[in-house]
Amino acid sequence: VKNRLRELRAAQGWSQAELADRCGVSRQTINAIEAGRYDPSLPLAFTLAGVFGLSIESIFSVG
Amino acid sequence: MESLLYISIMTKTADDRLTSSARRASLVDGIPVITLGGLTLGIGADPDQSASITAVWVALSAAFTLSIVWVFYRAFRRADEYQRKIQLESMAVAFGAVMVGLSVVGLLDAIDVGELKAHVQMVFIGGVMLWLVLVDLRTRFHR
Repeated sequence: VKNRLRELRAAQGWSQAELADRCGVSRQTINAIEAGRYDPSLPLAFTLAGVFGLSIESIFSVG
Repeated sequence: MESLLYISIMTKTADDRLTSSARRASLVDGIPVITLGGLTLGIGADPDQSASITAVWVALSAAFTLSIVWVFYRAFRRADEYQRKIQLESMAVAFGAVMVGLSVVGLLDAIDVGELKAHVQMVFIGGVMLWLVLVDLRTRFHR
C-alpha cells in the first residue's frame, strides 16, 4: 500500500512527532507508515484521514 | 530558506507524547524488576543452600516471574499498533531462544552437569533481555 503521508505532512508543516500526537500514536509508527514499512490498521487510517480532512482513498492507494 | 525549513521539519526527531510517557513508565517499571532479578540470580547461584534460603529463592523467583508478566502487560497496553507488532515479532524470536536454552539446560541437567538452578533463571532473563534488545534495535534503526 502506497501513501502520501509525508507529502501531506510537509504541506501542513508538521513534524512526525506533531502528527503522531494528533493521531495518538508514536512517531515510530508515523515514520514506518511514511517509509512503507507498515500498513496502518483501518481505524488508524481513518484517524489519519480525519486529521488531514481527506478521504482514506486520497491518502492511501494500492501500488 | 524554504528547503531548509522542509528539511528541518522532515528530519526532526523529537519524541512524541506517547513515546516520552512510555519511556518514563518503562524506567519506573523496570527498576524494581531488575532488582528482583538480580536478587533471584544472586541467591540461586549459591550451591549450598539451606531449606529456608531455597524457600526464599522460590518466592523471589515467583515474584520475579510475576513482575515480568506485569511489565509485559503494561508495555503492551502502552504500545500503539506498530509497536505491538514489533514487540510480538521480537518476543517470538526471544521465545525460540529461550526454548533452545531450556533444552540445553535440561540436557545438561539430565547428564548431571553441575548445579543448574541458576542457569534456568539466566536463560529466562536472557530471553527477556534478548526481547528488549531486539525491540530496541528494530526501533533504533528505523528512526
